[in-house]
Amino acid sequence: MSLLAHQTVLGRCLRSSDMERTIAEAVHEFAIDRERLREIGDLVRGAGFGFTRQVQRSWCMGRTAGAAQLTLSLLTIEQRRSLVGDWVDGGGGAALDVTSEAAAFLAFVGRHLPDPSHELSVCRMEEAAYRASAAAASFTPPVLTLSDGRGVPLRQGRGSMIVYFFTDPRRLFAAITAGEPLPALGKKGFPYLFAPGLATLRRVASCAEARLWHRLEVPTSVPALRAEGFSRRRVMALLAVGAIERC
Amino acid sequence: MPAVPSAPAPPLGAYPGAFGVGFSYVPALPAEFYRPDLLDFVEITPEKLCRARWDAGLSLDLVPDKLRQAQIACGDLPIVVHGIELSIGSAAGWNSGYLRMLDRFQEAWPFLWHSEHLSYQTIPGRDGGPVSIGTPLPLPGSDEAAQLIGERAATVGHRYGVPFLLENPAHYLSNLPYDADIGDEFGLMTAVTEYGSCGQLLDLHNLYCNALNHGFDAFAALDRIELGRVIEIHLAGGRREQGFWVDAHDSLVPAPVWRLLECALPRCPRISGVVFELLDFFAPSVGAEAIADELRHIRKVRRRCCPSIRVAKA
Repeated sequence: MSLLAHQTVLGRCLRSSDMERTIAEAVHEFAIDRERLREIGDLVRGAGFGFTRQVQRSWCMGRTAGAAQLTLSLLTIEQRRSLVGDWVDGGGGAALDVTSEAAAFLAFVGRHLPDPSHELSVCRMEEAAYRASAAAASFTPPVLTLSDGRGVPLRQGRGSMIVYFFTDPRRLFAAITAGEPLPALGKKGFPYLFAPGLATLRRVASCAEARLWHRLEVPTSVPALRAEGFSRRRVMALLAVGAIERC
Repeated sequence: MPAVPSAPAPPLGAYPGAFGVGFSYVPALPAEFYRPDLLDFVEITPEKLCRARWDAGLSLDLVPDKLRQAQIACGDLPIVVHGIELSIGSAAGWNSGYLRMLDRFQEAWPFLWHSEHLSYQTIPGRDGGPVSIGTPLPLPGSDEAAQLIGERAATVGHRYGVPFLLENPAHYLSNLPYDADIGDEFGLMTAVTEYGSCGQLLDLHNLYCNALNHGFDAFAALDRIELGRVIEIHLAGGRREQGFWVDAHDSLVPAPVWRLLECALPRCPRISGVVFELLDFFAPSVGAEAIADELRHIRKVRRRCCPSIRVAKA
């Protein structure tokens, strides 16, 4: 059996919920002969491979939990175990692109949290920080004049997010740091902008900026935005920091 | 046995350097820990100073703040690199993003030597791109594996101009297949290091783990290792779990591993460094003073077992 076949079968079995099926598929894919099939079968059915699967799962759980420490710290132990376990069972915790996986895991967690809630705000903030930080590595400010007034559609920046806090974030994080009960949930959301071109990746957003950012869920040209009342200055300001971008 | 490559050997012959004691760079430890009266060098895993992103393949970007913080903590101590993301044994291709990052790292912070694990952690996905399997796996002992990794090891040696070492991995697979002329995991390491003209990082805790888990005598196994190629030794601690001794890097060095060091050290003519390994996560609970005691114990073993070796400092 070739090295590639050996590694592929073992690697797939390591993560498979149905090893026998995985092996059966590999027999066809790699034309594995009877003797090699027995050899690989003995290997993956052995106690050592079973233990390796447990080690691998525990590493995946650790990596996943480590990527969302702040958010998970606000949840009950049962919630934490369940969310991390479900993510790892679905193939998570092993991605080469750690930052993208962390953001994807937080998006997954966010879908299981009440909306609105402080937990969801913190979760989205962690996700936004990952996305903005990853995008910042390759971000270059656009040449603004080229995107203005020529009908080029704009959209939300891929490394940007608006996160709403339902209390003053300083009060929220002071309570989290001190291990105190979280403040009551306010009715009004305070928008924060995360974008790769911001020096600290985040700043308070105005309601008009938040409205513009949400508007660009559907790509729209600058003249169309201006016709809807968004000022050119505001559009350019968000474009400059990567909160919005050209399609 | 594969043929010897025609390319010139990397500068393994320049060693031994002076013997030194090292420890991993752990950001959670106080910077005062990395002082020359305790350490002769620091072992850096550069991936820990990086941000990973996907850009038609894995890219590792050094984070300037993390790099600067590490350089400040290590001061004037020399460094060696111990990588974890190269996946040198992956048949479908190693992680070239790691090498691109290491090029930049070497420009910013030159290192004495560079090591990686004799294992693989990626396989081809359904779309042909690399997929991580989440934990490194040991290689089967085939001529194909020896040749592939040997060629890659030689390439790495030339690329950085410093010795490249491969580490014997700990694993739990007792019945890995081996070609008759390779024999076992020691035969595979010998074949790879000869073919790649590279050195070995002898991890004595990994050897101890495998001996316990696969039922062989670790002391007798030293006779099967090309100790003349060993430039660095790793020591670590572990624990028993579900009938296996786990390479956990969570505690102090167990007594049998110290005895292995006493036995191996005088037989490694090129030995240039002994490093105590501990995972970042466990360093605060083990404590800086207990770690320092382990490092001082390495010096005691060196003085007792090989007093004539040239040392970085007494």
